[in-house]
Amino acid sequence: MKKKLLLGIFATGALVGALSTKAIAQVEEELSPEEEIRLVQEFNRMLAEGINPGEIWYEVGKEAIKKYNLDKCDLGLGPGVFKGAAAQMPRYFADAGKVMDLETRVGWCLQKYAGMSKEDVLKFVRQCWGKTGNCVSEYDGIIMYLTMESNGHKINVNLKDPRVKRMYDLGKQVYYTRMGPWDFNCATCHAGKQEVRIRATKLWSADRPGEAGNAVSIFPKYLVRWGLPMTMHYRYAECMRQMRWPEFIPHSDLGVALSTYLYGLANGTEIKAPGIGR
Amino acid sequence: MKRIVGLMIVSGILIGGVVAQEKGGKVKKQESVRQEEVRELMKSGFSNDPRFAWKLNQDEAQKICSQYPSRESMPASAIQKVIELSTSGINYPQWGIYWGDWKEGKKLVESPRGGRFASYGFSDNPADKGGNCYACHLIEKGMPGGTMGPNLYQYGKRWNITKENMNSPETIEKLRIVYNIIYNSWSAFPCSSMPRFGYHGSLSPNDVANIVAFLLHPESPVNK
Repeated sequence: MKKKLLLGIFATGALVGALSTKAIAQVEEELSPEEEIRLVQEFNRMLAEGINPGEIWYEVGKEAIKKYNLDKCDLGLGPGVFKGAAAQMPRYFADAGKVMDLETRVGWCLQKYAGMSKEDVLKFVRQCWGKTGNCVSEYDGIIMYLTMESNGHKINVNLKDPRVKRMYDLGKQVYYTRMGPWDFNCATCHAGKQEVRIRATKLWSADRPGEAGNAVSIFPKYLVRWGLPMTMHYRYAECMRQMRWPEFIPHSDLGVALSTYLYGLANGTEIKAPGIGR
Repeated sequence: MKRIVGLMIVSGILIGGVVAQEKGGKVKKQESVRQEEVRELMKSGFSNDPRFAWKLNQDEAQKICSQYPSRESMPASAIQKVIELSTSGINYPQWGIYWGDWKEGKKLVESPRGGRFASYGFSDNPADKGGNCYACHLIEKGMPGGTMGPNLYQYGKRWNITKENMNSPETIEKLRIVYNIIYNSWSAFPCSSMPRFGYHGSLSPNDVANIVAFLLHPESPVNK
């Protein structure tokens, strides 16, 4: 583990160096074919060597949890009990009176135990959004740490709880809602029996068994082209931007509903964070 | 007249090809949550920044399409309604259907930009526009593309458009059929995955005419 981690730090250093010519870009450039090929090679090398720079965020998160008093945070198994906790979320929380997924719950705990306002939390969550290269966010670290504490545990969303089931149903409705100036819904890309590609990218489908599980169980997912791990709520925001939908607010009930539907579909899949992608 | 019937058969075959690619799945109209609840949930989950808020408005056709996971699961009445809603509002260029500039069309086909806004970066410029057609279609030989939509390689050749017949009334009618599909795909394929580019104003009538020219013109690289 330690050796892997060191390798990871080394690899990130090299990557950041390679990317620094572009610095922290505000607009994601369309990649030239050469850059695209270089990224794919870099990605393949990391896969082959078992390197995942995303693991660095585990240590970042471990520190941040102490710093922000999140050892008091109850993810459903008791305050500070994190082993396997992420695997049983989203779930209903009596203290908040609502169903929450991991990220929303962390936001709730940051307000309660770290003295953050709602606005502070949003800023904290989105500090690396839209940035590429060398952006390390404590929030991403916290989510990485808490998810990796459930590695090896099977996703187990309790759909027998009617409050959870309701969020699942709402999430499913959202999944099929066609909206916006390009008429998309989630199912435009992620449904259907037949496998299709968007350019070179194979799309997973909610209609093909196991694929939703494979997709969500590796989040947060380290993205080689951005040099940072992408959490689920950042993924939702980016999907919706591509769909030409309005801008997504992280930790909203909309996010919780989508998580409940997707992790509900993924029930039984082992968590293996962080994943890695181009 | 015979020719027009022939044309309809051709377009029928093309349409059939696309239908076969549509998603499978059974009707599962959910009744456990009310549509108003879904709307409220969505409203609360999006920024109320006026630059985005208008995107929350759903039109009638979108509302119908949201109820079914695929066209196969739609009742005939719903299909009929979406076609009616979609055919009525198609606008043409000022001088009617004409051969656009395929070189301009090529730029629009290749550009993935337009309409992707967010306050946190990675945004398109407001003036950006493009169809991002390669995301879903294979079009020019040798250009990588997606497989969500039908392969459009040599599309003009498949419509039997040649240098000799390209200004005949039959060919102009073919241009109109393809124009309608790009302007409002739901007029031909109700609830298709393909955005209604002209209907929403993402592309102007002249933009659509240019893209039609790129797909169908005998000199376009698509038909080489």
